[in-house]
Amino acid sequence: MENQKKVPDRFDWTLAFIIFLLFIVSIIAISSAQTSGQYEINFVKMQIFWYGVGAFIIAGSLLFDPDQYKKLTWILYGFGIFLLVALIFAPTSIAEPRNGAKSWFTFGPASIQPSEFMKTFLILAISRVIADHHQKFLTKTLKTDGWLLLKIGITTLVPLALILEQPDLGTGLVIIAITAGMVLVSGISWKIILPTFSVVAILGVTIISIMIYFPEFLKDHIDVYQYGRIYSWLDPYSYSSNEGYHLISSLQAIGSGEIFGKGYLGKEVYVMERHTDFVFSVIAEEFGFIGASLVISLFFLLIYHLIKIALESNTQFNAYICAGIISMTTFHVFQNIGMTIQVLPITGIPLPFISYGGSSLMGNMFAMGVIFSIRFYHKRYMFSTDKE
Amino acid sequence: MKHKQKQKKKKKSHIPLRMNILFFAVFLLFSILILRLGVLQIVQGEEYTNQVEQKDEISVDYSVPRGEIYDRNYQKVVYNIPQKAITYTPSKNPQPDDLLDVSKKLGQIIQMTDADKEKVTERDKKDIWLLENKNGDSLITKEEKEMLKDKKLSDSDIYQMKLDRITEEQLKSVDINVASIYRKLFNAVALTPTIVKNADVTDEEFAYISENLADLPGVNITTDWDRKKTYDTALSTVLGNWSQGLPAEQLEYYESKGYNLNDRVGVSYIEELYEDVLRGTKSKVKTVTDKNNNVVDTKVISEGQSGKDLVLTVDMDLQVEVEKIIEEEIQKMKEYPNTDTLDRAFVVVMNPKTGEVLTLAGKQYTGNKKTPWYDYAHGTFTSAYESGSAVKGATVLTGYQTGVISPGDQLLDEVFNIKGTQVISSYKVMGWIDDLTALERSSNVYMWKVAIAIMDGHYVSGQALPLNTDKIDLIRYYFSQFGLGTKTGIGFSEEIEGLKGAADVNAFQIGIGQLDTYTPLQLAQYVSTIANGGYRMQPLLVKEIRNPDVNDNALGSTIIEEMQPKVLNRIDMKSEWIEHVQEGFWRVTHGSQGTARSFFVNEPYDAAGKTGTAQSYKDGKSTYNLSFVGYAPFDDPEIAISVIVPNAYYGSNQPYSISNVISQRVFRKYFELKEKRQNNDLENDEAENNTEETDTEENLQE
Repeated sequence: MENQKKVPDRFDWTLAFIIFLLFIVSIIAISSAQTSGQYEINFVKMQIFWYGVGAFIIAGSLLFDPDQYKKLTWILYGFGIFLLVALIFAPTSIAEPRNGAKSWFTFGPASIQPSEFMKTFLILAISRVIADHHQKFLTKTLKTDGWLLLKIGITTLVPLALILEQPDLGTGLVIIAITAGMVLVSGISWKIILPTFSVVAILGVTIISIMIYFPEFLKDHIDVYQYGRIYSWLDPYSYSSNEGYHLISSLQAIGSGEIFGKGYLGKEVYVMERHTDFVFSVIAEEFGFIGASLVISLFFLLIYHLIKIALESNTQFNAYICAGIISMTTFHVFQNIGMTIQVLPITGIPLPFISYGGSSLMGNMFAMGVIFSIRFYHKRYMFSTDKE
Repeated sequence: MKHKQKQKKKKKSHIPLRMNILFFAVFLLFSILILRLGVLQIVQGEEYTNQVEQKDEISVDYSVPRGEIYDRNYQKVVYNIPQKAITYTPSKNPQPDDLLDVSKKLGQIIQMTDADKEKVTERDKKDIWLLENKNGDSLITKEEKEMLKDKKLSDSDIYQMKLDRITEEQLKSVDINVASIYRKLFNAVALTPTIVKNADVTDEEFAYISENLADLPGVNITTDWDRKKTYDTALSTVLGNWSQGLPAEQLEYYESKGYNLNDRVGVSYIEELYEDVLRGTKSKVKTVTDKNNNVVDTKVISEGQSGKDLVLTVDMDLQVEVEKIIEEEIQKMKEYPNTDTLDRAFVVVMNPKTGEVLTLAGKQYTGNKKTPWYDYAHGTFTSAYESGSAVKGATVLTGYQTGVISPGDQLLDEVFNIKGTQVISSYKVMGWIDDLTALERSSNVYMWKVAIAIMDGHYVSGQALPLNTDKIDLIRYYFSQFGLGTKTGIGFSEEIEGLKGAADVNAFQIGIGQLDTYTPLQLAQYVSTIANGGYRMQPLLVKEIRNPDVNDNALGSTIIEEMQPKVLNRIDMKSEWIEHVQEGFWRVTHGSQGTARSFFVNEPYDAAGKTGTAQSYKDGKSTYNLSFVGYAPFDDPEIAISVIVPNAYYGSNQPYSISNVISQRVFRKYFELKEKRQNNDLENDEAENNTEETDTEENLQE
């Protein structure tokens, strides 16, 4: 224990610095976005407050080491599922539907979105499922791999079904992305992964193609709303729905930013939901291609850092957690930025750490908290292993 | 322990590779984002910048002057007077503050008319006062503002409180001239030029505004048109009226045809019927503005064209004279007793060969001191009357056609005694008479017998007279060939056919014009048909449609459409029969016993015609309608006329032959005008010759 490094040295300052940079970007973007005067609330103040809360969450997360998380996994997972089930049965007085989705608990001015935390709980759960599996089956065969895939599938399907029930397609897709990333890293044989991923990919492409070319075919099974989403994505100019208009304004804002941008507060185009889901359009319009690329690079740096942690971690459980959080963050960033630049259809997914929103930020901060904890307790394990 | 290490090795064997694959996938996805951003912001960046900067294209319609209306001699009948006008075109989303700003600037330059100033309400002034005084913040207490925050008071409550608390004293600061301008601007429709002031715009106002247009966004100077009728009330109802702005009840219809809310539109008779010709095409100008509302580009999309000019067939000189004759004769007749039921008379003058209407006159005496005469020109086809014996020409020809009589047949004019009805007769028992005498002397019995025979009846004195009244339709069919009881084809939707009397025991009265009612225009068409040898001509009111000239205030020089005479039908009767009836008509005006002999026998123009007297009812009195149809000259008719004076008198004595006098005066006036014009032409020709002569004299002197 004398060799134990001092607390400040065990803390992952690099990760903290990356999050701090994202915080700065967030404040700049939101402070500019809220000048279009859609709302009267000062979102900058609120976002600083939520970052404050996030700091406490990280500090709290550090109280537990990864072993304890492992033990708590099923309790947390159960708690998350309980909240999601509670949402379904909760009266609208405390779970008022927003935009047609019952995803939020509302207590007076405070509101919380259980699915934001469920994502991290699920990552923990899948990590434990994989780690336990590998402990149990030392020699892996196609049969044991299939068994593992089934277990991961069941663990995923429960929260996924509950979230799609709300309905919240965006978060549902995040759950799928997390699972896909973790299945990849779990070590399941390529002989299983490749066919599975291919089938899923072909299925997805087929459904979307049918929606585009043979719309009558699926009319009874898929909401008209989802059709509008696809059409307004592919051809916003002729499909003049709200979403089509939303996309056009976002494209105009980002496109007219050109290389160097219009400068802070220099934005000209009115885009809806600019402080939340479309916050990236502010960055790209005011700071141009250079600013936008820097923000994307910042996220890439974050992912790179997480990969490094995963590779350095000494337990499978920790590595899988990293893989899950990497998948989650990547999908969030890709989907959110992608929808503002017509790479993907519009879905209500925020940009992590930058979009305004308490629940989303707290969810992400909790995920980061787990990473901090992995790093914080990392060295001690290393020494103990060496001593053995 | 060894075992454990082995296990660890195994673990490490798959995680790093898989992690790197994951990392590579992340790298690919992020590269897609950067690539796409590059395309958007670098490759297409300029395109989007242009889109953002010149977003607004505003298309504005400018109204063009309405077509003018001329008479057959190309004298202006309805015309436009250009007026200087100040217009305001609101932006897409005009703000009250901006409107007030423009109003104040304009208020320093122009003075609105008193009529406009009177329209300013107290509410208008209060709205302006609020705009000028920080939205009236000082009128609301802190407590009330708190209540608004707590939602105990609504915004509209607060607004009402402000309105109530503005004092008279405070309102005095509001300039009434500015307020009247603000009203106009506030009520203007977005992107539509609206006239702020068009009456009495002075040259100074006009010049000052044109110099300061840049400071007055939305304000423009233009030319507006006021529309006037040259001949005041003459023919005015048939010329029709126009609205200022679209009529509220037909808003959707007109808007669907591309009209703006404040457009003029014809709402009655000629103005309405020829709306599409008179309206013209608006000029369309597209203005491209940047985000600061600066005009970047102005494109004329379509030039627009003034409305086309109409040339009427009407001779306004004759029209005016005829209307004067009607007024004078009604006044003269009303000096006699038993004429208080008389209030109107109609005269239609047509060219029987072409159907061109030269005069369409109707006058109604209102008894008002201010406007004693109502122009009832449209009554010539929207009102119908029993016309009496004037229709007997049609009766005789129908008799020939159905075979119940032949030209020259004699019938006994006797006292008619049908069982169960009153004894009736012609005004005089005439004995055995032929068809021509029956027309000349206007025998009722002859015509009755013809009608009865057509309806398979057989008159025996003192007995009941059974009739096959179904056959009255046959008579009506032949009458309609002359235009009687059917639409004449003049084109107005308001035209009526007249009433059909009940086909009962008195059905035979149709033969003397005592059953169905006919419009004055139908009577004119009928007599034209007899005059021209059997062709029912469509009455024409418009002769030509002309393209407007570059100079909007003159008759257009190019004819677009010239209306051709149109034969609606040829009557079934033989030409020699028609000539026979023409002779009968000539004997009415020339024969020794002709009913109109005294009025026409000595006239130089050789008229033929038929008089009529019909029983009618008005104000509970049994009255008489007096009528005349005729044409002249007999050999080569130039005009055919119908005159009807409904309810001219009551009682047993006709005090004054008003219809014959009017007819005589109308004929005289027509030929007098014709002669005068010929002389004028001659004089002009001579004058031209004279100038030529003086020229030669001058040449000689040199």
